[in-house]
Amino acid sequence: MTKLEFKNVTVQYPVYNSRSLSLKNQLVRIGTGGRIESEAGHVSIVTALKDVSFSLKEGDAVALVGHNGAGKSTMLRTMAGVYSPTAGEVVRQGRVATVLELGAGMDPELSGYENIIRMSVLMGSNMREIKERTSDIEEFTQLGDFLKLPVRTYSSGMATRLMFAVTTSTRPDILLVDEIFGTGDADFQEKAKKRMEDLIESVGIFVFASHNSELVKSYCNRFFRVHHGAVDEITRDEVV
Amino acid sequence: MSADKFPAKDDLKRAFENWSVVRFMALSDMRARYKRSVLGPLWITLGTAVGSVGLGMLWSELLKVDPKTFVPTLTAGLIIWQMVSGVITESCGLFGRQASLIRNMNLPLSIHPLQLIFRHLVNFAHNIPVFILLALVLKVPVNANTLLFIPGLLLVSMNLLWICLVVSMLGARFRDLEHIVGTVIPLLMFVSPVFYRPDYLPFSQNIIWANPLSYFIEVIRDPLLGVAPPMFVIQTNLAMLVIGWIGAIWLFNKKHNRIAFWV
Repeated sequence: MTKLEFKNVTVQYPVYNSRSLSLKNQLVRIGTGGRIESEAGHVSIVTALKDVSFSLKEGDAVALVGHNGAGKSTMLRTMAGVYSPTAGEVVRQGRVATVLELGAGMDPELSGYENIIRMSVLMGSNMREIKERTSDIEEFTQLGDFLKLPVRTYSSGMATRLMFAVTTSTRPDILLVDEIFGTGDADFQEKAKKRMEDLIESVGIFVFASHNSELVKSYCNRFFRVHHGAVDEITRDEVV
Repeated sequence: MSADKFPAKDDLKRAFENWSVVRFMALSDMRARYKRSVLGPLWITLGTAVGSVGLGMLWSELLKVDPKTFVPTLTAGLIIWQMVSGVITESCGLFGRQASLIRNMNLPLSIHPLQLIFRHLVNFAHNIPVFILLALVLKVPVNANTLLFIPGLLLVSMNLLWICLVVSMLGARFRDLEHIVGTVIPLLMFVSPVFYRPDYLPFSQNIIWANPLSYFIEVIRDPLLGVAPPMFVIQTNLAMLVIGWIGAIWLFNKKHNRIAFWV
């Protein structure tokens, strides 16, 4: 049974300036008894999520809306288990796949085919699954013989195609997607949209952070507004 | 999640469960690194061969010792030193280099140290034929003690693993650690028995044994040269293993959840 639950989750993280990132400065600070502490750098604590609770079940397609820096990406990373809550509890059941930043795990020196294997292994697939999927990826990317060349020779559009194809080739229970559309030519955009829709249909829980209200309305059935680290559920009509 | 209570244990357990990912990443990193060279990883072997024979000739002349005993000693020392210093230097930026993975996928963090150690062990395996060849040519004694090199290597690998874990955590938090370590490691090389056996220079023995890395070199090299390592070397290695792992686990447990924010 796929589910994703947040119980009073708070996420705080430190932001260091260049001085507090330096071990030398820290040692000087301790060594001088903090007398020159004003120079030793200040650590600010950012509260990205504050006491957030919700429960997602199978069939939920959730949109995260909110302005830049509202905490959408932090929320997705906390859902994925990349960030751990400072307080509260996250209950996660099911295989999670993330499309946060494209290109995680890609190595520019390796060929397209080798990168397909590398990224898939990192996403937790075994060799048999990867073999099965390779032809589908070949077809979607239409890169042909370019897949035999190192990825560093690709144009950014070609690299995006490959990354998108691989990250969307798994069939997870929970899919977390950050805004990634808007790259590639019109033809690719159309194909990517179609592929995304197929994928969304097959997953149990889908969470999508986006500024594109049209896209959000067509994919999702629940809407969360993230605002200064707090989350309110809103209706479809409230999405602007 | 009960796992949150003790994240270090959970993380290490998951890393060992994902052993195939560790192995694949290490080999794939290696393949990427030697992609554009004809000899590929054989460059490691070649570099070691040229370096140790050349240095061996020069230093045996300078120190006025017999090259027949000195060259194998130096070769073994250099091979082991390459692994030890390589692991420690690369640990500093380890999490930083893998930031895109750490920030985007829920993979156990300890796969990165494991992967690094594994990669350096593969490197080591590429280097050891140079020593074997020299040992055959120069008739280094092979006896029951030689087999002790396997537990020795295992002991050092396990020690390097905790060092790597600690250094990579510190390196993720303090960005200047890379430069500090880069300055200190070459110094440590000169106060380690890489270039000379501890008994060549009796007056500096104490300095050598104050360097923890000396114990790693001796516990592998002595068996390679057909000698059983002294008891205190083995004891120190074991003590470092136990104390180091306790400290490393404690720190990892405490800071595990912070690392994703640091990188």
